[in-house]
Amino acid sequence: MSLADKQAAFVRAILDDSTPLPEGWGNSHALGLSVYRGNYRNALMGTLESTYERTAAYIGEEAFRTARINHVIANPPSHWTIDSAGEGFDQTCAKLFPNNAEVAELAWLEWTMLELATAPNTKPFTAQDFAEASAAFGDAEWMGLGLEFQPRAATRRVTHDLTALWKSLGADSEGVDLRGYEEPQGCLAWREGERPTFIMVDADNTRAFEAMQNGERYGDLVGLLAGDQPDDEAIQSAAQRAGAMLGQWLNEGLVVGLDL
Amino acid sequence: MNDPHPPIAPFGGFGLGLRRAHYDDFLSETSRVPVDFVEVISENYMIEGGRQLRILEEVRERHPVILHGVSMSIGSAGGLDDGYLARLKALAERIEPLWVSDHLCWTRTSAHNSHDLLPLPLTGEALDAVCANIDHAQNTLGRAMLFENPSSYLTFPEDEMTEWEFLSEMARRTGCYTLLDVNNIYVASRNHGFSAQDYLAGLPLDRVRQIHLAGHDPATQDRPVIIDTHDREVCNPVWDLYAQAMQMIDQPVATMIERDEHIPPLVDLLTELDRARGAKLEPA
Repeated sequence: MSLADKQAAFVRAILDDSTPLPEGWGNSHALGLSVYRGNYRNALMGTLESTYERTAAYIGEEAFRTARINHVIANPPSHWTIDSAGEGFDQTCAKLFPNNAEVAELAWLEWTMLELATAPNTKPFTAQDFAEASAAFGDAEWMGLGLEFQPRAATRRVTHDLTALWKSLGADSEGVDLRGYEEPQGCLAWREGERPTFIMVDADNTRAFEAMQNGERYGDLVGLLAGDQPDDEAIQSAAQRAGAMLGQWLNEGLVVGLDL
Repeated sequence: MNDPHPPIAPFGGFGLGLRRAHYDDFLSETSRVPVDFVEVISENYMIEGGRQLRILEEVRERHPVILHGVSMSIGSAGGLDDGYLARLKALAERIEPLWVSDHLCWTRTSAHNSHDLLPLPLTGEALDAVCANIDHAQNTLGRAMLFENPSSYLTFPEDEMTEWEFLSEMARRTGCYTLLDVNNIYVASRNHGFSAQDYLAGLPLDRVRQIHLAGHDPATQDRPVIIDTHDREVCNPVWDLYAQAMQMIDQPVATMIERDEHIPPLVDLLTELDRARGAKLEPA
């Protein structure tokens, strides 16, 4: 058996207890292998525990343990950083808690905040910077304007107030504060200096941010917000809302450059 | 010996691993932590930005830094991850460490990463693979590296040499240096029934640039295996082995205490580090 084959077999044995021991292995090898199995599982379970403290606090120890085991079995890590073991845990939660969307929403936010903490440092493009850059814009420049956002800034449609839930699961909490929305809203996360942060926004803001992040132009944004077959009033209203969103993104420091 | 990279000069001193629990101590504006160097886990800082990287840069302004990796997987039959090496190289260029180290082990296949330091069969085939990978890593990083002897919990029936013979030949072929983990020698010697003294005597000790000291979880009746846990104080037999090693090594070396779990206040680790200083000062 080649070294590559031995290593593949070893990993299979770590991942799956039912894998037969290689030929020539005895009890001492089985004992040693059990240590490596334990190390593997403890490391991954520990990583998920430190990444998803609030999710754990919300769903409780036993449910969180079950969720972690499900995630680790379904998503054995392949990346060199163990932090990546937590990627996609929100989707695991969505499958395990289909009637409690807030669990996946909370897990998404914890993962996003972790990712933001190590994102590249950037210098915000301020409202003043923007005012100077856009002073001579004509209609064509406005319509074709693209925005460069902070790396790893992210948004998601949510059905619960994550600000209230997040705060209530932190230190000095006086109990879980779960507030559902009648209509889905949005959560927008980014980094202020070195500190990851987030706010709740309306669902249109989330759609607009995603569209601009994916390279749509400011003109497209107005169209997106105006809806199908808009009249003049709808277009004017959409333009005002797009302007307000642009102002908010600039004031929050989310914009780091223009794509002209 | 294949030694195309500048030699790593001996550096004598005593240090600690930099852990989050001690960031405030290391960044204090009123006092300087009395260590000669700090060691960091490379992967924790192979990131693109943020507070953690800024803290490392600030610590680097005060202390020499060693980059110690856990994920290079130098023993992988499928070769190294060039993306990983590029990140490590960028960090090394940013931090200008005393040196860069990793472990004699493998951690991954092309499909999965175990995030554990897995044992290699001590065969000629594995030695060829390790040496080819070390050549690749050292050429990519543009520097010689240190590799640490691992703790291990099993050996392979097909082993063709001892671990110290493997390490010796590895250093001879690639020009790499040795990070001597005294606790790992103790753990492996007890788990596999060889002489720790034979291990030390069989190594090219002139290639040692650093020593690790750490605590472990002793064997029990139910689990007759010692586990390398880094979660408690260094035990007396490991201190004794350290003293023996220091009597056998002629050049200055960097000695440090590793603690990764149940991390105590910094003052406790500094007190433990003083014991290493004392052991080194004892006459041979």
